[in-house]
Amino acid sequence: MPKNDHYVIIGNGPAGNKAADRLRDRDKEARVTIISDEAFSFYYRYKLPDFIAGRISEDALKVRPYTIYKEKNIRLRLGQRVERIDPDEKVLYLKHMKKVGYTKLILATGGSPRVPPSFIRFMEYFTFMTNYNDAVRIRPELQKAKDIIVIGGDLISLRFIKMLTGMKKNIYFILTRNCFWPIELTSRMAGKISSSLEKKGIKALVDTPIAAITRQKNKLLLETGDGQKIRADMICSFLGLKPNIDFIVGSGIDTEKGILVNEYLQTNYADIYACGECAQIYNPKLKDYWISIGSENAALQGETAALSLLGAHKVIKPVPKNLLNVGGVSVNTSWWKQF
Amino acid sequence: MAENVPCQHACPAQTNIPGYIRCIVEQRYGRSYELNRMVNILPGVLGRICSRPCEEKCRHGEADLGQPVNICHLKRAAADLKSPWHRIKENLYTPSDKKVAVIGAGPAGLAAAYELATLGHKVTVYESQERPGGMLMYGIPEFRLPRDIVTLEIDNIIRLGIDLKLGVSIGKDLPLGKLMKTYDAVIAATGCLHSFALSIPGEDLEGVYSGLDFMMRINTGEKPAIGSRVAVIGGGFTAIDCARMAIRLGASKVSVNLRKTEEYMRIDAHEKKEAKFEKIAIYGLVQPVRIMGEKGSVTGITFERTRLKYLAEPPYRVAVPIENSEFTIPIDTVIVAIGQYPVTDYIKPKLKLNGKRIWTAPDTFKTSVKGLYAAGDCITGATDVISAIARGRKAALEVDALFVKHKRKKTMVRIESSEQTDRKRSDDFIPRSQMATLGPRRRLVDITKEVELGYDAIAAEEEAKRCYLCYLKYEIDVNRCIYCFACIDVAPRDCIKMIKDIDIKKDGSYGELVETGEWNNVVAIAIDNKRCIRCGQCLEVCPVQCISVSKVELIEQDMER
Ligand SMILES: Cc1cc2nc3c(=O)[nH]c(=O)nc-3n(C[C@H](O)[C@H](O)[C@H](O)COP(=O)(O)OP(=O)(O)OC[C@H]3O[C@@H](n4cnc5c(N)ncnc54)[C@H](O)[C@@H]3O)c2cc1C
Ligand SMILES: Cc1cc2nc3c(=O)[nH]c(=O)nc-3n(C[C@H](O)[C@H](O)[C@H](O)COP(=O)(O)OP(=O)(O)OC[C@H]3O[C@@H](n4cnc5c(N)ncnc54)[C@H](O)[C@@H]3O)c2cc1C
Ligand code: SF4
Ligand code: SF4
Repeated sequence: MPKNDHYVIIGNGPAGNKAADRLRDRDKEARVTIISDEAFSFYYRYKLPDFIAGRISEDALKVRPYTIYKEKNIRLRLGQRVERIDPDEKVLYLKHMKKVGYTKLILATGGSPRVPPSFIRFMEYFTFMTNYNDAVRIRPELQKAKDIIVIGGDLISLRFIKMLTGMKKNIYFILTRNCFWPIELTSRMAGKISSSLEKKGIKALVDTPIAAITRQKNKLLLETGDGQKIRADMICSFLGLKPNIDFIVGSGIDTEKGILVNEYLQTNYADIYACGECAQIYNPKLKDYWISIGSENAALQGETAALSLLGAHKVIKPVPKNLLNVGGVSVNTSWWKQF
Repeated sequence: MAENVPCQHACPAQTNIPGYIRCIVEQRYGRSYELNRMVNILPGVLGRICSRPCEEKCRHGEADLGQPVNICHLKRAAADLKSPWHRIKENLYTPSDKKVAVIGAGPAGLAAAYELATLGHKVTVYESQERPGGMLMYGIPEFRLPRDIVTLEIDNIIRLGIDLKLGVSIGKDLPLGKLMKTYDAVIAATGCLHSFALSIPGEDLEGVYSGLDFMMRINTGEKPAIGSRVAVIGGGFTAIDCARMAIRLGASKVSVNLRKTEEYMRIDAHEKKEAKFEKIAIYGLVQPVRIMGEKGSVTGITFERTRLKYLAEPPYRVAVPIENSEFTIPIDTVIVAIGQYPVTDYIKPKLKLNGKRIWTAPDTFKTSVKGLYAAGDCITGATDVISAIARGRKAALEVDALFVKHKRKKTMVRIESSEQTDRKRSDDFIPRSQMATLGPRRRLVDITKEVELGYDAIAAEEEAKRCYLCYLKYEIDVNRCIYCFACIDVAPRDCIKMIKDIDIKKDGSYGELVETGEWNNVVAIAIDNKRCIRCGQCLEVCPVQCISVSKVELIEQDMER
């Protein structure tokens, strides 16, 4: 009997690519397709700051050449967003209602910038940097900019600041404790971080509310709740990630903060799996649901999801805590949870 | 019809939504308000707090087409922008000698009383509270619904000669039996005033409130004590209002805790967004196990995690606890808002119940007691205002049919030929306009300050222009069509279909259309009004003018006998 398996993976990050590779290794006959809304092929996201700073070229961002996919017989559909999933019919809808059928599906859609509700009204003035498109767009802008406000924070914001200090920019860091990600900071922790930033010549403002942001000629004017006025060329926001699940909610696939999966990374549909920064898993040790952080964890989950899908029933083990020293404060960089 | 105008079909009162939105584009706000008032006597109220079932179904929100039209806020715009000297239209019938008593002056009771009064009957409304409005007055907080709006719209109802008796509780101050004897019919519209309890240890500690009780106390001028850390249990309207009220009363950390997830909350996205904006955290997949206390007051709450389990029938998902997943957080106040049920013990002799609700015979609103009808939340369980109004009105029409011996009003489809409207294709790409709201600090200083600020005429027009006006129907005359396919080339989506077979019913109307992709087999070209966004492009390019536009509306007509 000919096999008609079509494994579709949504998302072209570390989780999606690892899953595709594993599926191809273990099943030579099935069709394997990766669909991603990004038009640029698989790249190191963590190298984006270096790329923006002009330290590395576009080629150095790429994890592997495009030709690899041809060799491996993995179909890449780049620049195509999945708009909707119909899990009962086993079809995906792309833009203009174009349909793609699948026999098994892996969701590896990652996350996008989180904007806490209290910041939403300033969103139009914020610059975000999570993907290649953002980087290309802001690269020339950033080269010119002198004064930059960073709204933070999260781990990426600290990486970003490191890059900026190397570029000799004038930096303001607005640190909101209960919006720090993935943990809320105590005032002692915030104090430690801000003093370590100050040492590097960065002006840190802890828990200073933003009263207004307005555009004035070619500058942005940020007014704080305590009456300070800061003029800047850019306001960059880094407040963590939220899983990309908007197009999945309501499809029948269970979601909460992320896509709910069991320890095999299987969703409530037997033929749909989720992995990486979009998957939410219950962890009996923590007595809580958590969502993984970082590309290594994402790749590990991609592998696990692929093996489970192929019937190996591989269990994802809770990753060990990875503590990163952030200006003297230990921050867990392995997962985030809500409480 | 239902498929053509999805918003109207989704509205429990079947409001003519495209009709009233079109009036806003034409700046006929008064007419727009009256179109609403035909089926919904409280447009200014609903334009603020409606649960918006229509917006979920709005065609503009379909995949690829953007976001739904802000139908609810346009209703408010019509109410806000109409002239202060606006003329209210009433279709009054000849007075009759029939007398009806309505118990409860909530939305269901008011809608029933209004309908009966216009039909000429003598109506008396008995309300146990000091003011009419039911949950509009005592449940929903003022920061979402200013009381002058409620009062104004209720006054417009009472003006029709309705006798409103306030502070009279049926069963306590006046036995139901007495009403049954004095009146030709009685409608019970007593809502759901009992709160479900969690039935877990610690619920009797000081600092634990029932949500409805908490809101009612505030709405009658009390100020219940509230700690700095508040956990609300439940995810309906009451729960979210309690959380937003707690923040206004000075709590610093407020969470709403759900057994399932946000997706299953029975409130609209809009309400969730405002709550989050006020820094209320929403936690899913948890359920309380016990409330802890010291010296009689709450100090903490223990939850366990849950997971979703699939069911083959509604509600489709239930939350089941995860073993060994208990965790405790410190807390000062717990507000339990997990649902309400009706008080029925005032009704003697006992009547048939449907669970805890009053049972009524399907579609007739008749209870098991002769001459006693029931409508609103007391028969459905806690729902929403527009459902209560729709049911109150229908119950009144049933009572009227009892007196007159036949139905006096009939819903019909009216088809008028129509011109292509002046809508431009670019209107389809106007983004949904959000209504301005008070900033985070200004809104929290006063529990009565309305958060939403309304649309001005310009914003209202911009939003109204987005509506496709789905009551328009585009049709191709098969006899004149020359199969040039020009329309298919310009169509914005797969709205025009090539048909190889049409099932023509006995009455001459079209049944199922059988589609084909083979040009050779095409016997007709037809417009699928479920897919059509009324953009008019096909009409413009048709070389033989074989496409016609008609306006199809549901109207109510008198039935003469
Ligand atoms: C600037 C920066 C620096 C970082 N530094 C580090 C670091 O030093 N170390 C580390 O471990 N991690 C770092 N990270 C985080 C790391 O990049 C992520 O953890 C990792 O990429 C997550 O992998 P993923 O496969 O789950 O998702 P992603 O890599 O986010 O991939 C998901 C893909 O799915 C696509 N997608 C989403 N929705 C759809 C849809 N509907 N249709 C089609 N496609 C869709 C997205 O566009 C995206 O391309 C950094 C991230 C950034 C932005
Ligand atoms: C806090 C809260 C917020 C809400 N928010 C919304 C919202 O935003 N949008 C929405 O659509 N819905 C909302 N609802 C639900 C909505 O208010 C109800 O569904 C609706 O009011 C039900 O109407 P009703 O007429 O059936 O009952 P009610 O409004 O409850 O009215 C019943 C009336 O009967 C009276 N009564 C009861 N027993 C007797 C008796 N024996 N004798 C005399 N009178 C009696 C009561 O005093 C009351 O006035 C909310 C409810 C609450 C509690
Ligand atoms: S576009 Fe207008 S008429 Fe059509 S469903 Fe939406 S609100 Fe109703
Ligand atoms: S008006 Fe004509 S072209 Fe426009 S959506 Fe409807 S059928 Fe398609």
